[in-house]
Amino acid sequence: MKVNFFHLMPYPYLPDDFDDVEKYPSPSLTFSNAHFDPAVGVDLYHRYLDELEYAESVGFDGIVVNEHHQSAYGTMPSPNIMAAALARRTSRATIMVLGNAIPLRGNPLRVAEEIAMLDHLTKGRLLSGFVRGIGWEHFGHSINPADSRSRFNEAHDLIKKAWTEPGPFSWYGEHYEYRYVNIWPRPLQQPHPPIAVPGAGSPETMRWVAENHYTYVSVYAPTRVVKTWFDGYRAAAADLGYVPEPEKIGMALPVFVGEDDASAHREARQYVEWLFHRGLRQGLEIVFPPGYMSPAAMKGLLKANLKAYPELSYEELLEHGYVVVGGPEQVRNRLGELRDELGFGQLMAMLTIGAMPAEMVRRNTEIFAKEVVPELKRAPATVPG
Amino acid sequence: MTLTDVDPATPPVQRCGAAGGEIAYRRAGQGHPVLLLHSAGGANEWGPLQLGLAGVGDLVAPDHPGFGLSDDLPELHTVDDLVYHYLDLLDGLGLAQVDVVGVSFGGWVAAELAMHSPERVRRLVLGAAIGLRIPEAPIADLFLMNPPQLMRALFHDEALVTAALSAEPTTDQILATYRDLGALARFGWHPFLNDPKLERRLHRITAPTLVLAAGEDRLVPREHAQRFAERIPDARLVVVEDCGHALHGERPAEVTAAVVEHLGS
Repeated sequence: MKVNFFHLMPYPYLPDDFDDVEKYPSPSLTFSNAHFDPAVGVDLYHRYLDELEYAESVGFDGIVVNEHHQSAYGTMPSPNIMAAALARRTSRATIMVLGNAIPLRGNPLRVAEEIAMLDHLTKGRLLSGFVRGIGWEHFGHSINPADSRSRFNEAHDLIKKAWTEPGPFSWYGEHYEYRYVNIWPRPLQQPHPPIAVPGAGSPETMRWVAENHYTYVSVYAPTRVVKTWFDGYRAAAADLGYVPEPEKIGMALPVFVGEDDASAHREARQYVEWLFHRGLRQGLEIVFPPGYMSPAAMKGLLKANLKAYPELSYEELLEHGYVVVGGPEQVRNRLGELRDELGFGQLMAMLTIGAMPAEMVRRNTEIFAKEVVPELKRAPATVPG
Repeated sequence: MTLTDVDPATPPVQRCGAAGGEIAYRRAGQGHPVLLLHSAGGANEWGPLQLGLAGVGDLVAPDHPGFGLSDDLPELHTVDDLVYHYLDLLDGLGLAQVDVVGVSFGGWVAAELAMHSPERVRRLVLGAAIGLRIPEAPIADLFLMNPPQLMRALFHDEALVTAALSAEPTTDQILATYRDLGALARFGWHPFLNDPKLERRLHRITAPTLVLAAGEDRLVPREHAQRFAERIPDARLVVVEDCGHALHGERPAEVTAAVVEHLGS
């Protein structure tokens, strides 16, 4: 089991009346950046980078950054910049960029170049994730959601070819045209840095990730649903005649470990609620704009019949496996159960939950590393039959 | 839709080959041909407007690619592509010159068709049409609206909003609407429901044109209808009072009468 520290870098200082959902339908897209105080923001970035560096120092296998735009939910419009900031301050952990939202890029060749540079800066410790970008980001960057998947596919093909085939070559695609593709540097890892792709139940994504032997990562869903995703990915791989290694299946999960079970819940509750009730307050319209989902994926989503995140109580979030909170023993047991049920070999633990203060994140990271990680590493992940 | 759902007066769906698939259309009536280009929410519809048009002419009412009963035709990406698609359709049906009635999104397609090939259009109706870029009076972002917000933006009469929202939609209806809006996004997400070149080309339209504005349009500001009426050489603007963007969905008798009158004049 690989255990990684996943940071979203949220902006925690929401206005006092943020629970007024008419006034603030979401912390994303339309939530005015007048609420971003640069004097606070500057400290936040450095604090968050410290947290990632600390995670390496206490033994996490990887540290994870991601990309979001125009949102208080996550303040990393460029994950590559964060990866660069971490590259020379760390020396052992895999730096996971999870990932670049390639459909949003007007020029995906720039992603190929930046990742190749990062691969050198990290001396080959880089994992390159590719994501679609959330619906609201297609509003924010004026990218047609109906083109999102085909832009993703084409940008991926272009980037991979730019990494792996000697240039110069030309590229004539539906969305991108280049007469000279010849990136300097080429990546350090050969043939290219490992690739991970998050999925949210889309059968096309499962199939595609399996075809490419990439790592498939889940986020924010009940255990019963995540199981169908991972099973779908394994089934797609089986169709292709192979069994994916457990490390090719990753689960992103907010986790809080307290001194004991009761104090953990007492402490964590408000931050879990911040994440799901404020950070993830987002109407279906901005998450799945028209054209963003294929009919099959939309049908699957309707069938799953999931409640919107803000409608889930703290108890439901725990019960259905959206988050794990408890004392060391409870968290060890719960994560062990999830691992055995779902068969993931890569945990992206989100230990900075919502507006959680620095001291608490530090303690969470420390206890998690000391009391939980060794046990997770001891027992091998099993593939559920 | 099954046969039993169809009003006996509804003409059967016909299918016609196009690049990459087929489109669905209905055809009824006799006389001068009329091409009805539907709004984003108006695919596969047979109601008072269609009946009225079939009463005075040979009505051809296709579903746009990606909408209603038509295939996706995924290689089409822009309204310009749709212009060529409809020129192919007219050629395929042997229709040299037609009256064109376009509503909302269909109005945009109709305007582009009429300015591309003015000789193919005898009379033109643009109902609550989109397609113009007017930054000081932008079209509301319907993609950001949830179903209740969208209904309130489409209808002026609160009773119609309530009626539209009273029944919980079936999964198939949700999927059909998501597909129609997805097709609208394909053609109109960016630039947002406009073609920056449209306005300066409108002078090419030769057909006598009726520009219909909905008096209480919450999606498309009045400036759009006014601009169409100003830039199209032989155009007149008629405002349908107490009516939301849904136009013939809200005031079917009045809108149909105005359209029929214009085509017959």
